Amino acid sequence: MHDPFDITGHAEATDTLAVLDGAGRTYQAGSVAVEALRPQDLIIRRGDYIAVMGPSGSGKSTLLHVLGCLDRPTAGRYLLEGRDISRLADRELAAVRNLQIGFVFQRFHLLRDESALRNVELPLLYAGIARSERRQRAAEALEAVGLAPRARHEPGRLSGGEQQRVALARALVKRPRLLLADEPTGNLDTVSGARILELIEAQNGHGTAVVMITHDPEVAARAATRLLMRDGRMSRADA
Amino acid sequence: MSSASASFIDICREGLLHLVRRPMRTALMAMTSAIAIAVTVNVISLSFGLQEDIRGDVNMFGTRTVDVGRLPVLVPGAARPSLGPAEERSIRGVLQGLDALIVPRRQAAATVTLAARNGAEAHTERFQVVASQPAYLKTLTVPVQHGRWLNDGDNVVGEQGVASCALDHAAAKRIFGDEDPAQAVGKVFELTLRGQARAMTVVGVLSDPLRYRELFETFDEGKGARTLTSSLLSFRNIYVPERLLAGEEYSGISIVLPTDVAVGQTRDRLMTIWSLDATDPIALMRGGIGVFVRKDWMDALGASASKGTLVGNVVWIIIVLVAIVMISTLNLITIRERYEEVAIRRCEGARRRDVALQITAEGVMTSLVGGLAGLPVGYVGAAILREIVQFPFRFEFKYAIAATGIAILLGFFSSVVPARHAARLQPARVLGRRLN
Ligand SMILES: Nc1ncnc2c1ncn2[C@@H]1O[C@H](COP(=O)(O)OP(=O)(O)O)[C@@H](O)[C@H]1O
Ligand SMILES: [Mg+2]
Repeated sequence: MHDPFDITGHAEATDTLAVLDGAGRTYQAGSVAVEALRPQDLIIRRGDYIAVMGPSGSGKSTLLHVLGCLDRPTAGRYLLEGRDISRLADRELAAVRNLQIGFVFQRFHLLRDESALRNVELPLLYAGIARSERRQRAAEALEAVGLAPRARHEPGRLSGGEQQRVALARALVKRPRLLLADEPTGNLDTVSGARILELIEAQNGHGTAVVMITHDPEVAARAATRLLMRDGRMSRADA
Repeated sequence: MSSASASFIDICREGLLHLVRRPMRTALMAMTSAIAIAVTVNVISLSFGLQEDIRGDVNMFGTRTVDVGRLPVLVPGAARPSLGPAEERSIRGVLQGLDALIVPRRQAAATVTLAARNGAEAHTERFQVVASQPAYLKTLTVPVQHGRWLNDGDNVVGEQGVASCALDHAAAKRIFGDEDPAQAVGKVFELTLRGQARAMTVVGVLSDPLRYRELFETFDEGKGARTLTSSLLSFRNIYVPERLLAGEEYSGISIVLPTDVAVGQTRDRLMTIWSLDATDPIALMRGGIGVFVRKDWMDALGASASKGTLVGNVVWIIIVLVAIVMISTLNLITIRERYEEVAIRRCEGARRRDVALQITAEGVMTSLVGGLAGLPVGYVGAAILREIVQFPFRFEFKYAIAATGIAILLGFFSSVVPARHAARLQPARVLGRRLN
């Protein structure tokens, strides 16, 4: 078992995917600075399956946003596949999110007026992929999560579990290297949640690194590595 | 690293789908744009139409005609300058080689007895009588609308002293009532000229070069009308054969040139006869003879029309600015409802400029559709206004093209603030929130 906080030799290791190198994120809330993520090291290797637990407001989402290039660290460096993310321009970050990182959120975050198929197509649209190929790949991704018959349905006509599967199909259609899930089962019944976890784990089995935030210890128990976040600092949950 | 990005068409399609899915909001924005464009075409067709019509009108006065005439104001004590065959000969002398058509004319005020009609009693009215050769018509660019122009035969004394005449459209309307001036041809009226009454037969009527006679007369008030030349150009004249004012001094000599260059040369050469300096009013007075280049006068008139256009432009520009502010505000408010959508797009790979482009495309498409709907509304409005206020409007395709361009700009500029706002949104702030 690797130590997720030991980043020595990360540059040479071939299985290094993402590295927080003293990376932290401070929010300025008025005159108060909130250290949502304290400067620390973390290494994510290809195929990792990491669960992050911790109380509300401890900085879990902030970690995910930094890893997902939705946010830049205010301290240290974040290296994704050897590239320093904090130095990239907006359009380059957008390109990274577009094809390398899949996101799944507790609230699904689907476009409400668009069909499941068009929702899944979205990242491919911003990748400049032609419409026919987009259709094809989106349909395949929906098929893979068992929603081919629901392709023309808008999110409002789908159950929570189905919506989350659409969101997962949208993440997986990119064929991402890193899948980030922020409480993906937090809003689902047990059966739907289990289905989502199975799908995520299947993707992990294909080599996609997964970082998943969860409040559920049973869910966390399935991950290879469990981290505990407290006041913006991570530690091994099982240590 | 892939640098591929969404195609322009794809992003516009995203915007279009968004618009179609919010028909009410889209309709409201399109309506705002429609109103602005309706007002714009209305005002453009008014002001540009007026300007173009006036330019068109003054071009009928004879663009390459130069007039030599006595100045209306004499320096006290100075002798009244003579303008007759001798002066005509000197003009012919200096203008040799310019292929100039030189037509002297005599003018006099005369009265016409108008029959009682429409409740008005019979009365007399003053008209300007122009006596000249048949070639006089060539000094104008006004076509004969009904009947014919005067010819050499008309200059021969006919039986019972009846004389032929041609009328300006406005004179025909005035003398014979508001009926169709075509009816005037062949009619007879009584003209009192130099104290002598005689019957006149109308042989032809010129068309009216002044579409907006009232506007023209307002402009000309107190300016040109003092001179014989410009009273001539108010086109309310009675044209008679030369013999009716034979033996009198010329009122003026009209010179028609074949080219604009020849017009300039004519002006210069005429200056040498009377040593006039057109830029020095005192020198002009001293000679007592003026050289009047109709084109210069028309240019001044055209410039005045441009000022009217400017006022019209200010009106529609204000309306369009108001529409931009309104649509921007509406857009900005609705962007707040779209935070999640924008955050999702950004999260899935949209760049800031992709978001800005979509919002702008939505704005331009809405405004364009609204603008196209506003075009006919504006034209119908203009047509109604024309009926009510009798003001000139012109309907032209190019104004519609201009208004469409303005609609596109309206959509573009009303999207600038909302697009910037949406593009600056930080997706992490929206996406991290929990449900409860
Ligand atoms: N955009 C932001 N601006 C200011 N403070 C923020 C922002 N996002 C998160 N925070 C603060 O950072 C801390 C960590 O938040 P978050 O990462 O969302 O925690 P968790 O996901 O573990 O509940 C909280 O105190 C939160 O209020
Ligand atoms: Mg959170």
